[in-house]
Amino acid sequence: MRVLATLTAALLGAAAPAQAEGMRFNFSGFGQYTVGKVLSGDKKPFSLTGNWNCPCAITNWEYVGVYEKDKGWQADQESLIGLQGTLHFSDNVSATAQVLARPGNFNFRPTLDWAYGSWAVNDHWTVQAGRKRIPLYYYSDFLYIGTAYPWVRPPQDVYGWPIYAYDGVNAAYTGQWGGVTVDANVWAGGFTHNNAPYNTKIYYGAKTNERWKGIHGAYITLTKDEWNGRVMVMRHKANTWSPAYDDQPETVWVPNLQTTIIALSLNYDGANWLLRSELNRLQQDESKAQYDYYLLGVGYRVGDWTAMLTQSNYKTKDLGTAFGNPPQGIEARRSRSLALRYDLNKNWALKGQYDVSKDRTTWYDFFGDHKMLSFSAQTTF
Amino acid sequence: MNEIAWERRCVLGALLALAALPGAQAQSTDLVAVVAANSKAPPKLSAEELSAIFMGTAKSFPNGERAVPIDQKAGTPPYAGFYQKVGGKTEAQMKAYWSRIMFTGKGQPPQEGGDGAAVKKLVAANPNMVGYIEASLVDASVRVIADIK
Repeated sequence: MRVLATLTAALLGAAAPAQAEGMRFNFSGFGQYTVGKVLSGDKKPFSLTGNWNCPCAITNWEYVGVYEKDKGWQADQESLIGLQGTLHFSDNVSATAQVLARPGNFNFRPTLDWAYGSWAVNDHWTVQAGRKRIPLYYYSDFLYIGTAYPWVRPPQDVYGWPIYAYDGVNAAYTGQWGGVTVDANVWAGGFTHNNAPYNTKIYYGAKTNERWKGIHGAYITLTKDEWNGRVMVMRHKANTWSPAYDDQPETVWVPNLQTTIIALSLNYDGANWLLRSELNRLQQDESKAQYDYYLLGVGYRVGDWTAMLTQSNYKTKDLGTAFGNPPQGIEARRSRSLALRYDLNKNWALKGQYDVSKDRTTWYDFFGDHKMLSFSAQTTF
Repeated sequence: MNEIAWERRCVLGALLALAALPGAQAQSTDLVAVVAANSKAPPKLSAEELSAIFMGTAKSFPNGERAVPIDQKAGTPPYAGFYQKVGGKTEAQMKAYWSRIMFTGKGQPPQEGGDGAAVKKLVAANPNMVGYIEASLVDASVRVIADIK
């Protein structure tokens, strides 16, 4: 971490001398100011950890952004600012760092989501090493770049794991095969997230860590005219545990289970019509745990306005020992949203979104149904 | 009734005023893609080849010579017209596209060269560059490699 912090400081501080020595420094950023309000839903305390009063909505699982009806309009759950600096040592070699800060994450504590060195081997291949977000699903590696998608946030029934970055290496390919544009990536690495908010705040209450070991994955995206299809497969060994504290012994929740995630996506981006779809599955070998999740959205664009109607769904399988023996039920949710985007200018998009989400969990008392409204001003600069 | 009729007149008036704006006229100006007069780029490029270079998915001309795309300023009619005609993309789509590429470490958008005259000057002085300019600006310093239709 200290090495990464030093790298960031070096990158951001190198801007002026870099120009003097003929190197190039690029500075850019993104941000969003998002306000949301839960309009109605199931009235009950959030019984798993007692952290919230419902009606409530979990709108970000990675950092845990939760809106509660009792709190009215809230602006501190998803708002964020991100800064990216890239130092180009030559045409082929560069170093990039991206720092994010959000009011909902330990009061603007900066997090380093990206810090990597990049070497463009030739016109088609680039090798990178360091920390990157995992390009797991279609929007995973640009989940917080609001100007790149039509919603206030990509459907959260699909997006949300305690680990979303990896430290490791990757090789990226870009090229044209006939009239088809190919974007592909293979990556390998690992990541440990101590006191991961996803685990600690939502599921376990006590400080809980997550480690993904031996991550290795690949995706390929093919784009032809308005159509775009993507296939991704990744494997890793998942570990979840609550360390010993006071007189409590360590508790291991997920004991190094081989996990496979498969993600498919098909999209259409026409002059007026848009289609967004994803179909994903996570499976664990020994426990036979399985999650299935999808999103399907249809949109229509006129000038600077885009409207989007989307349904998303996730469901665990009731497969014996993974969720209690004998089977005790499932965790599941289905959400529908209507989103409206207005492109104010080349840097800003203004969005509004209405969500209706239904809790279908039978295993335990989860966060219930909700209806919510959100507005967001999103920028890249 | 009178109020409604008055509102309709206002809307019609506003639309006519919009249509008469210089920007709206400039969008129909013919654009051409140009390289330096002494460039080793091929004689002609297809719309797909041009699009691949400006979208960052091709780093070279089809004959292997390195290609460096130069944009006009985003938000201007030539910028909007170029991407609409070459890639079928609106400005909003281009914004979404580059947002994704930039912040996932996959590349940077083309360098902005200013207006047509500035792009012509830049391209004329660098044999690897390719830009798009208004057809009326073409002179002996540059060579047309594609008509943007």
